[in-house]
Amino acid sequence: MKSRIIALSAILILLLATSSGVANPGGKGDSNRDYTCGGSCHGDPSLSSDSTAIINVEMKSTAYSSTTTEVSVSISDLDTSDNGLVGIFLLGSKNGNDDNPEDHGWTIIQDPNGGSSNYVEVVSSENQVTVSWVLLAPEDLGEKEIYVSIHHGSYYNHNNKAFIGETDAFTVNIEPIPENYPTLADGWTSPEERISGDSSTITVRTVNTESLMVYWRLSGESQSHQATVEMVSEQEWEVSLPATLGDTRIEYQIVATMGDFSNRMPWLSMGTSEPYFDGTSLGANLQSISFALIILGFMVSLQSWFAPRGVRKIIDNTAEVDKSINDDQELPVTDLDNEYWSRLMKSEENPGWLWDPIENEWVADPAVTPGGDE
Amino acid sequence: MMFMTAFHHLVVGLVAGSGVIMGVCAALVWLSSYISNLESSKSTLDRAAYVASIFTLIVIPLAMISGNYSSTNSGGAMFYNKFLFSGIAFGFTSSYLVGRVRFGPELWKYSSLANLQMISALFSLTSIMILGSIGSKITLGESTLDILPFWPDFMNSIVINQWFSLFLVIIGLISVVISSRSSSMRISLND
Repeated sequence: MKSRIIALSAILILLLATSSGVANPGGKGDSNRDYTCGGSCHGDPSLSSDSTAIINVEMKSTAYSSTTTEVSVSISDLDTSDNGLVGIFLLGSKNGNDDNPEDHGWTIIQDPNGGSSNYVEVVSSENQVTVSWVLLAPEDLGEKEIYVSIHHGSYYNHNNKAFIGETDAFTVNIEPIPENYPTLADGWTSPEERISGDSSTITVRTVNTESLMVYWRLSGESQSHQATVEMVSEQEWEVSLPATLGDTRIEYQIVATMGDFSNRMPWLSMGTSEPYFDGTSLGANLQSISFALIILGFMVSLQSWFAPRGVRKIIDNTAEVDKSINDDQELPVTDLDNEYWSRLMKSEENPGWLWDPIENEWVADPAVTPGGDE
Repeated sequence: MMFMTAFHHLVVGLVAGSGVIMGVCAALVWLSSYISNLESSKSTLDRAAYVASIFTLIVIPLAMISGNYSSTNSGGAMFYNKFLFSGIAFGFTSSYLVGRVRFGPELWKYSSLANLQMISALFSLTSIMILGSIGSKITLGESTLDILPFWPDFMNSIVINQWFSLFLVIIGLISVVISSRSSSMRISLND
């Protein structure tokens, strides 16, 4: 019987310890994810429902192998939750595994948030979202497929369901790159961000490029400016972009030229991050301890400075009290040497004590009773 | 670590509570020299501030340790500032306690010493308030002290080289030892 109670109690405790299962209404952040996060919660039909959103994918139907191309995704008629958050997947398949476009030969040069993930979370505005990825086309020739999937919450969502939308395959024909086609080198990705105030150059690696031009503009602006470009080695270029502050994003467009042919690539963007903080936990501890000790040393010194001499005697009057009780009599002041007592000076700061300027010492005032009260 | 985060919140509450008791009681004891109505409560207030200072000294290191291991440790400038102000609060609280132990309750009769004690307690309380404000900024993103126009945002910090910090620790230790010895010599000379 006792063991049953223990077993039942243990089960009850375990049941009470479980938390209710909910999705991630605040999002999980940008990352590389498979379709429906690999068939996790949102893939379960009992936990998800079809989205009413309309997804439109724009992309060139033909791309040269290993050259940049842009995928633009426009989503409309979104019915999101309070925070307006939408998760958008760019996929090479919808199997639930190996769905990242990079598993199918594509290279993500830049995602809509400045990183290089196939899944991004963005906030919708007026039930609409438009984002774009910049990709490097696969080396393999032939037809490749691109899918877009979304998931989001809903304002009226009592069952805490995820709303999922997806497109059919968008087919891109990968053609052989023309001879001497100027483009970015395989493996080069755009820097995600620069430190606030940093004006150092960014390095661009290319292939088949005779000259390089870079245009820049601040995010939201339409007018672009030409940046200074310097060739540092064969097919390697240093581009000087102006330093940015705060949360500014700078966009830049690379134009690679070979002979009479120019390849104008999609606009890339770069964010601004806070300056790097070089403080360590150990340093903080040491600095904290040093501050504490220096303050303590300083204050103890001040206490000694301000303490009246012989203050211990004033505090500890036990001997004097005992003596006064035992003797039960006081020496009359008049019996003492008048000349000695006349030279002593009273001090307001040290009541009960007289200063002897000849001997440079404090003397207890016999006119004051022990304890300091006159 | 979830335990450390919860424990840190608990200890921070204790630091704030004991720090406020110490600061307010010390200020009232100091005021009792000027306001006759407080004279009768002087001894009680002094003892309350005394005990609160001991408790504050115990919980500040616990708050520092638990904060270091809690999930709120972002490792940024704000977190660095929390450590610095913890050290400052510890320094002033320990100064208050040392003064009270050295001179006893009679110290309030000496205006210079009483002023020094009151300053120690109030600086400690101010440091603890700043600590709470930084903690609130980290966890909630805002603080009630944001209402003040001159309140810094603590997004930057003064970072000293670790070796120089170690040098300062040694200097601090030496200064504490010397100041303690000189004061004891001074007292013994007058015994």
